[in-house]
Amino acid sequence: MTNITNHTASYKDPSGFVFVENGIVKRQINPIYFKQYQALKESGFFKQLFDNQLLVKHDEVFSSSEKIVLQPEHISFITYPYEWSFNQYKAAALLTLKIQKFAIEHGFTLKDASAFNVTFNKGKAVFIDTLSFDFYIENSPWRAYKQFVTHFLGPLVLAHYHGSQSLKLLNSFMDGIPLKMLASMLPFKTKLNPFLYSNIHLLAKFEDKHNQDYKGETKASTLSKKAQLNIVQSLYDYIKKLNLKESSEWGNYYNKINYSDSSFDFKSKIINQWVDNLNTKTLIDIGGNDGTFVRKIKASLQHALVCDIDNNAVDHNFKLINTNKNSYITPFVLDVLNPSASIGFNNLERFSFLKRIKDFAPDTALALAVIHHMSLSGNVSFDMSARFFASFSKDLIIEFPKREDSWVQRLLNSKTDFKAYFDFYNEDNFENSYKKYFQIIEKQHITGTHRVLYLMKVK
Amino acid sequence: MYSLYFDPGLGAMIIQSIVAAVAAILLFSKNILYKVKAFFGLAKKDNDDLFDDINVKESDTDNTSN
Repeated sequence: MTNITNHTASYKDPSGFVFVENGIVKRQINPIYFKQYQALKESGFFKQLFDNQLLVKHDEVFSSSEKIVLQPEHISFITYPYEWSFNQYKAAALLTLKIQKFAIEHGFTLKDASAFNVTFNKGKAVFIDTLSFDFYIENSPWRAYKQFVTHFLGPLVLAHYHGSQSLKLLNSFMDGIPLKMLASMLPFKTKLNPFLYSNIHLLAKFEDKHNQDYKGETKASTLSKKAQLNIVQSLYDYIKKLNLKESSEWGNYYNKINYSDSSFDFKSKIINQWVDNLNTKTLIDIGGNDGTFVRKIKASLQHALVCDIDNNAVDHNFKLINTNKNSYITPFVLDVLNPSASIGFNNLERFSFLKRIKDFAPDTALALAVIHHMSLSGNVSFDMSARFFASFSKDLIIEFPKREDSWVQRLLNSKTDFKAYFDFYNEDNFENSYKKYFQIIEKQHITGTHRVLYLMKVK
Repeated sequence: MYSLYFDPGLGAMIIQSIVAAVAAILLFSKNILYKVKAFFGLAKKDNDDLFDDINVKESDTDNTSN
């Protein structure tokens, strides 16, 4: 029996829609978009983008006068803009501009520039909305310009001035940061910068002045091709140079942590052994910092997700993935105490972390040195964290730092009068709670530390 | 054919000629500055290893398959 459901996020564009048929994601093209699609296909435009790994590849699997069906390459885990580190966000913005320039030069244009049109696959930013292209009409301005500013330039400039937390704003403002708000959040000196003044402050003013266009005067304005290319090029140059002025929470974590080299090696040896025995192909490392431990795994992994709360750690991971060509790793920013929720219409447009990770169904979950943060900083009980881990992974490799561990001591001491409340934090309580959901297969003390590694199997 | 499924913003459409003019001046002056620096041997080579330039490398293989 075939089981077809329309994708709940794909309803805005009349050109076509995404649907899921027997678990496989497909894209239907409606007759209204046939002309564009044929032109994109026959001119070799799609092929050039595929060859450069800029657009997700697809095969045409069905074609009639009523519909054409494409089957895009499967991407097993989609990350959203509010889960990207600064340089990932930059990469997505630059990809969009690169595609727009290429499109204009070949008689097409991007009709939208939503940050949700991009995700990460095989270590690189890739455009996933195949139907975003339309014919370029000579001397017409870029319709998606405002969207580009509110989805990409805005969050990046805010992150530059106020820190990487600003990148999470798209979680609240799915259709981009409101221009007036964006302009008001930037420091005064940005008004003296001709690039930022024209692209953000002046744009906000113009939008405010013309926000009641009921006559459809939009079509009246003109812009030469050269002028549009100048806009795209200057956006590219500016964003490429943009940087972040903040140091990491964990940046040199492995230097300040209480691990000697030998303990570190011992830990990675055990993990390697277990992962090998489990024959793990897919995994998620929760609180995986810059992916150090995942890179130490010798078994060949198909796909490893590495998430961390710290933007800089994820950023560092992203850079390493690009230099080392570790295309099997997908890094993203995640606060385990507040994982991304389902948002959008009917809460069905962007899926929660839990929904996506359950669909991904990793063989193994790694949770190294996170339990004390969850329990002591987040006040999450052992029972709650056990239930969380048990909800998406068959096997769990979890590290438990005992009360004597210096990080645990530090966290406990910061509780001052409230410290007695955390008396529950000990090995016995941990094991008893986790035993409700897991079977403890193996337990190893990491020599030279006050930490224990567990291998557990979900019940 | 443009499907108006989102509002491009009238202000945003009109302003693009101004933004483009500013961009042209910036790009032009950047170019001049680069040439002056290059003349004195001061130009730094772009050594960004994470991001390349905006141009898509075109292959001249056959363009018929999708």
